[in-house]
Amino acid sequence: VSLLLRLRRPGPPPTCAGERAPARAAQRHALYRTEERGWPRSLVYRVFFKNVAGHYISPFHDIPLKVDSKEENGIPTKKARNDEYENLFNMVVEVPRWTNAKMEIATEEPLNPIKQDVKNGKLRYAANIFLHKGYIWNYGALPQTWEDPHQKDKSTNCCGDNDPIDVCEIGSKVLSRGEVIHVKILGILGLIDEGETDWKLIAINVNDPEASKFHDIGDVKKFKPGYLEATLNWFRVYKVPEGKPENQFAFNGEFKNKAFALEVIKSTHECWKALLMKKCNGGAINCTNVQVCDSPFHCTQDEARSLVESVSFSLNKESDEEDAEQAWYFLGK
Amino acid sequence: MSGFSSEERAAPFTLDYRVFLKNEKGQYISPFHDIPIYADKDVFHVVVEVPRWSNAKMEIATKDPLNPIKQDVKKGKLRYVANLFPYKGYIWNYGVCARGEIIRVKVLGILTMIDEGETDWKVIAINVDDSDAANYNDIHDVKRLKPGYLEATVDWFRRYKVPDRKPENEFAFNAEFKDKDFTMGIIKSTHDHWKALVTKKTDGKGISCMNTTVSESPFKCDPNAAKAIVDALPPPCESACTVPTDVDKWFHHQKN
Repeated sequence: VSLLLRLRRPGPPPTCAGERAPARAAQRHALYRTEERGWPRSLVYRVFFKNVAGHYISPFHDIPLKVDSKEENGIPTKKARNDEYENLFNMVVEVPRWTNAKMEIATEEPLNPIKQDVKNGKLRYAANIFLHKGYIWNYGALPQTWEDPHQKDKSTNCCGDNDPIDVCEIGSKVLSRGEVIHVKILGILGLIDEGETDWKLIAINVNDPEASKFHDIGDVKKFKPGYLEATLNWFRVYKVPEGKPENQFAFNGEFKNKAFALEVIKSTHECWKALLMKKCNGGAINCTNVQVCDSPFHCTQDEARSLVESVSFSLNKESDEEDAEQAWYFLGK
Repeated sequence: MSGFSSEERAAPFTLDYRVFLKNEKGQYISPFHDIPIYADKDVFHVVVEVPRWSNAKMEIATKDPLNPIKQDVKKGKLRYVANLFPYKGYIWNYGVCARGEIIRVKVLGILTMIDEGETDWKVIAINVDDSDAANYNDIHDVKRLKPGYLEATVDWFRRYKVPDRKPENEFAFNAEFKDKDFTMGIIKSTHDHWKALVTKKTDGKGISCMNTTVSESPFKCDPNAAKAIVDALPPPCESACTVPTDVDKWFHHQKN
């Protein structure tokens, strides 16, 4: 039985590291930009995505899963070994490391902006699980992937969580919400979150100064000792402060290697393709997109703009208190 | 809360940044000398220098007149504490207040660190306004109610300078936390040393003892003199705070 105690104190909030506004990080040649609507920490806050031509796109459907060298318009990405170049993926950053607000791609809204998750009408924040502060990696998703809730995963024996596949980015930089970066996949953890398959990829920003040292899961153990253990523990207990039980894992919580991870990504990409082609039941998922021309959900740039502009923009400056991000949860043994 | 307020000068995370403290009349005071140590029986005033989870190494400028809070500088560069995996920044609210927040605390225990050869006591305390404060009366309550926190504290202090290529720190008493009574004794002793300092019975060696409230001190000055000191400095600055991005790096080391 876990004993749970809450430490609260009034006082100044944590400093700005990690609270940098979406995509303010210098990305002079960024292929994607973001546009905020509403105020952070409010129910109406949304982060929409645009491509380099200034057209609204969906970060779920319209950003390629794999990095295409042509995408870069002649500007080379940081060196990756040739054999690894095929395995660079785009990652959409939802939660900067050390922040708490549970931001996610809104899978059920048109053009899938990033918004803050809500439970029981309240904005959700990840607890600070002692000794950690917020999320302990830059956290986000791979576009064009989907964990199908109608399909049981053979490794976990559970159905998917109805979301794109999640990524924990372990590089040293604290990234910004809405940033789209290129990552090298290193491994994967088979979390079973409240009975649903919820794979967690382990990846590193290809532009991290140490990226060239990381090729597979063993390198994480070698160069960042304790990080995988902390990751496992974080996912095991992160919902306990909300009154939920500890989570379970496939493979006894073992981190699987890159090859295994790539197979899982492939599979979730196939599920996404089926979703966009209406070959399976997507439920409430919004598949509106501007780039997948064969998709029955494809729309024009003008239609996309109208969708975004119809989202109500609230000038209400009231936002959630920062209190939710200050408590430290001690889970005694 | 306490009638004290603060005033910033220049932009945070710059060499010129200062936080001056003011009393309830808005007059400048020294947080080192002009805030009473005792708020109540067994309750002390603390000026918080570093909010939990931040990195900038802020401290009371003991050698500057009126001892404002400023960011520590080493070799001409502003100092930031490293993020020592698994920790982020400082793992408690530390020392004297960063934005001039003055709180009242209950003292619980003490750790005796030896930092680069100097004794460096670390008092463990809890804000009296914490919702759980009533449950904390001595060091064993911390062990019981926040398991792992004291161990993490020792680990942090032992290793926090290693990213700067300094050796691990050492501790007296085998890194054991002493209890409240012991701590009260240490605090009283350091308070007596301060009284001797501020009444010029001992040599401050560069410490500025300027104050506005200690009547028996030869360093006492009037509020106008204090104001003149502050007025001579750069004004407050509106720029947004930005910490250099290399401060975000997380240091991974093998524990010895």
